[in-house]
Amino acid sequence: MAIDVKKIISVYSIGELPRDNKGIIGVFGIYAAYNYNEFYYRIVSKTLTQASKEEAEKVENQLYQAVLDCAYYTFHGARTSMLWREIVEPMVETPEDEVHALVAFTNVFGIGYLEVVELVPGEKLVTRVYNAYDPGRYLEEYGPQPHGRCYMFRACTASYMDLVYGPPFPNGMGTFKCKEVKCRSMGDKYCEFVATKNQDE
Amino acid sequence: MEFSKYVFDKRFSPEKNLISVSGALVSLHCHHFNCGLLKAIEELKGIDGLTLFVKTTEEVYRHFFSDYLKQHPELTTPADKLQAASEMYYAFGFGKLNLSNLNEQGGTAKATSSYYVTAWLAKYGRRHTPVCYFTCGFIAGVLESVFTKPIGSYKVKETKCLITGSDFCEFEVKAI
Repeated sequence: MAIDVKKIISVYSIGELPRDNKGIIGVFGIYAAYNYNEFYYRIVSKTLTQASKEEAEKVENQLYQAVLDCAYYTFHGARTSMLWREIVEPMVETPEDEVHALVAFTNVFGIGYLEVVELVPGEKLVTRVYNAYDPGRYLEEYGPQPHGRCYMFRACTASYMDLVYGPPFPNGMGTFKCKEVKCRSMGDKYCEFVATKNQDE
Repeated sequence: MEFSKYVFDKRFSPEKNLISVSGALVSLHCHHFNCGLLKAIEELKGIDGLTLFVKTTEEVYRHFFSDYLKQHPELTTPADKLQAASEMYYAFGFGKLNLSNLNEQGGTAKATSSYYVTAWLAKYGRRHTPVCYFTCGFIAGVLESVFTKPIGSYKVKETKCLITGSDFCEFEVKAI
């Protein structure tokens, strides 16, 4: 059975998210909050442009790691949930199906539409997004960038491979690394990400 | 909390994976990322990362809450507008924040729950200094929207925080 992307997006994007009695949103083992895309863009872009080169590199690595944690735990929480077992698991026949299902699930968080371009089982994943928020804003405010700015999609792309082809949860994080090979902030038409095995692991 | 009076029109575009609230793009992020971002900024060397974090939050909410108020002319009094801000804060998932004791000169705000406290405890455990920097910027930004003042018109300091053992978070607000 092929992965029904539209169905996954539809199921996970409807209804209100559960809250505790303090009003905090808790779902899939994580605490979540909405915020303006402009908030994240401004905080990060100001930090990267005001910090020294060394500090900026350090922050970019920290952000990549923070999103990797976020994606690895959130996606694992989702794929072990009752809703996933009911709706998604019947579509998943191979590990590759699971990658496609996790990418579909990512497309409910409001960060731009991610799609799979190429998947080599256990080896390589290429993803692409045309409408990420940050790169357009970088271009608008700071001009063409020296390297890609989409730390969020980069870490998500690595995390799919970590979860599906890495050692069993929670030991697989960092099995794959990901590079952004094209970015709209550098003048490309879209942002593209390539995850391959992390040789340092 | 009653939501009947204040409308936060949330829309999702499944073909684009975009979410908007009252026309402005928002996204949903977890505590690993939100706290990781705050920690990275807090640890910055050479620039005052926390001031940058608070000021940026203030700018963003000054802008977007002003837009929200323009779309809702039925909110006429400062009390109504501040209540709308409180409920926006709750709707976004940041917790319960009481702004009703604030006026144009400032005052005191109180939160009985805080996303950043819950999130930081889950990610990094207890800390001995306040953590609600986002809320400080939020309060300054919405007050500037409500009273039509420029950025930098309010100074907000968190004087008590749930994460350090207080029963609530308290924010002292002064007009500059």
